[in-house]
Amino acid sequence: MMVFRVAKKEILEMTRSGQFKWMLGIVVALSVVAIYISHVHWQEKNLQRELAQEDARSLWLAQGATNPHNAAHYGTYAFKPQFPLSLIDPGVEKFTGVSIFLEAHSRNEADNVAAADQTGLSRFGDLTPDFILLFIVPLMIIALGHQSVTKEKEQGTLRIIKTQGISNQQLILGKWLGNYAPVAILTTIIFILAALFIRQIDWKFVATMWLVYLAYFAIVNSITLVISSFLNNSGISLVILLAIWIVSCLAVPKTASSFTNEKHPYPTRQEFDAAVAEDKKKGLDGHDPWSEASKKLEQETLQAYEVSKLEDLPFNFDAFRMQKGEEHETAIYFKHNEKLKEVHQKQTQVYRSLAFLSPFLPTRFLSMSLASTDYSTHWNFADAAEKHRVEMQRVLNTNFAENSKLGEWSYKADASLLSEVPEFNFEAPDFGEVMDANKSNLLILTAWLLGSFALLFFASTRV
Amino acid sequence: MLHAVNLTKKYQENLALDNLNLVIEPGDIYCLLGANGAGKSTTINLFLNFIAPTSGKAVIDQIEVSKDPQAIKKLIAYIPENLVLYNELSGLENLEYFVGLAGMKYQQDELVSFLQEAGLQSEAFKKRVKTYSKGMRQKIGVAMAIAKRAKVLLLDEPTSGLDPKASNEFSELLLRLSQQNVATLMATHDLFRAKETGTDIGIMKSGKLVEQLSTEEINHSDLEKLYLNHMNN
Ligand SMILES: Nc1ncnc2c1ncn2[C@@H]1O[C@H](COP(=O)(O)OP(=O)(O)OP(=O)(O)O)[C@@H](O)[C@H]1O
Ligand SMILES: [Mg+2]
Repeated sequence: MMVFRVAKKEILEMTRSGQFKWMLGIVVALSVVAIYISHVHWQEKNLQRELAQEDARSLWLAQGATNPHNAAHYGTYAFKPQFPLSLIDPGVEKFTGVSIFLEAHSRNEADNVAAADQTGLSRFGDLTPDFILLFIVPLMIIALGHQSVTKEKEQGTLRIIKTQGISNQQLILGKWLGNYAPVAILTTIIFILAALFIRQIDWKFVATMWLVYLAYFAIVNSITLVISSFLNNSGISLVILLAIWIVSCLAVPKTASSFTNEKHPYPTRQEFDAAVAEDKKKGLDGHDPWSEASKKLEQETLQAYEVSKLEDLPFNFDAFRMQKGEEHETAIYFKHNEKLKEVHQKQTQVYRSLAFLSPFLPTRFLSMSLASTDYSTHWNFADAAEKHRVEMQRVLNTNFAENSKLGEWSYKADASLLSEVPEFNFEAPDFGEVMDANKSNLLILTAWLLGSFALLFFASTRV
Repeated sequence: MLHAVNLTKKYQENLALDNLNLVIEPGDIYCLLGANGAGKSTTINLFLNFIAPTSGKAVIDQIEVSKDPQAIKKLIAYIPENLVLYNELSGLENLEYFVGLAGMKYQQDELVSFLQEAGLQSEAFKKRVKTYSKGMRQKIGVAMAIAKRAKVLLLDEPTSGLDPKASNEFSELLLRLSQQNVATLMATHDLFRAKETGTDIGIMKSGKLVEQLSTEEINHSDLEKLYLNHMNN
């Protein structure tokens, strides 16, 4: 096939040029270093997290026989596991916390809610594999391909080619393949290297991420050849392609991020805390028997059990009130966090609708999602931690209420109660869920892929 | 084999080629002479389908060039004044590639025989083209024509800048190809070579073919006189 002859010659020519060897050498070296550093960091953080988690659990259990509410205040931590593919794409991990303190009366946040940059879209400069894949490899494609057609025009070889019989489409397709092959091989090597380091590898995720990046590079490659086909000058082609790179990989993500934050801003930490405190004040405080809400609960409970004194209730009303207070506060936290989540969902909507602006965006979102390092996964984690906290409070307060008398604050539950509180366990969303949540990103990436090929076909008729 | 029928090319108001009529038979070596800007390259480019005629038609082997350019490509070989090849590839690799683009596949020994036939010295076959002289590159062009089994050669000043020996070798190659019934259209400024190698001569001036003659009809000095006469009027 003529297409393959062209591709073969492109590769042969590349491998003989010093420029190509240097470039490939640098990118490969960067990739290896990035993967190695990421691996070391990953292991360090993972070890720290595992140790901290064990520590937290043993500290929790070491309380021994204790008052359940003391234990509730003593608290413990929920840890977000370190997901395998964060080795390739650490996503927004930098901006989100990895642990949440679980205690009575308050829902604590991992430090993400009001972080200035909610997106991590514009994160630039960390030597991680995702940086190389998202920014450096496209640059390499441009460097290799910008003169693919212009050079043939400048030298005059294109005139000879045109008398030989090969069609323009075959020629451009061959050049596309020739430029893509080294990139595809490099990408595959990066993923294989990373996979070697990843524990508990889930091939579905790795393979899909690999395909997403291959699609991204195919798009960049097509655009590169489109520009090279349209122009007659290699220098201008390079300048235009670099401008496209800056716009798609830097400007559009940055602008999308600021635009989204402006359109649907998150409340600041202070605003959020003030709103919660305001709502809390209006309702039942588990520790305050004299408030209006407490009195009302007292009346209702006495009526329900048809007794006249709190002492006659079959359980410790102090603990019962605390559980009710907890439930009330939980509802407040839930309400306010739902609002945050709404903002998050609205932002996600906006991002999805902006994703057509640059192939960088859907690629970035898919990559983070597949690595379980996106904001959605973080929200799932925060929700799971809250659910866990509520369950923990329920177990402790119920024990307190059922096994002590009114005012018996000195009651100590058996140490076995502590192990009745389950260990926190969080699982990343499974493959189906990730694909489902990213339907629009997949669609837009596919549209870019097809669109760039269509454009390439059109450009090839103009050569 | 080659026909120009009222072939005309206008660039805005500039009549680059004015109503050219021309017939070149298999085995002919037709040399186009004329001053700079006379319309020689325009004629060749019309046969190559690099440009479209304003009116009239260029026909190769009964096929109108602008109607079926793909079919034409199978018949022709083109050597420009300065044949540029891929510097990082060897002569052999360049030949293999370009012939490949014509849809032909040859064994290495066949490719080697084409290079030998084109007169390239065998030490050069596997050297990178960036080490080649101009004459050596033009020989690759001839080898491409041989390998392609082209029936028509379109040559635009292929020997300009070649030393006399290289130029002479090139002429001999053309003669050999003409014996194999290849029709050649060559633009040149070299009156001497045109008389030596060509079978026919056409003199162009300002887009018009002002003189046509067979090389057998005229000697060197008369040709020169005739040419200068046309140029001075
Ligand atoms: N692309 C173009 N646009 C406008 N005018 C052109 C173009 N190409 C050629 N011409 C004009 O057409 C005329 C014929 O040019 P052509 O190149 O055919 O001359 P030529 O006989 O090959 O000259 P030379 O000996 O210098 O190669 C000239 O007047 C030239 O200026
Ligand atoms: Mg010319």
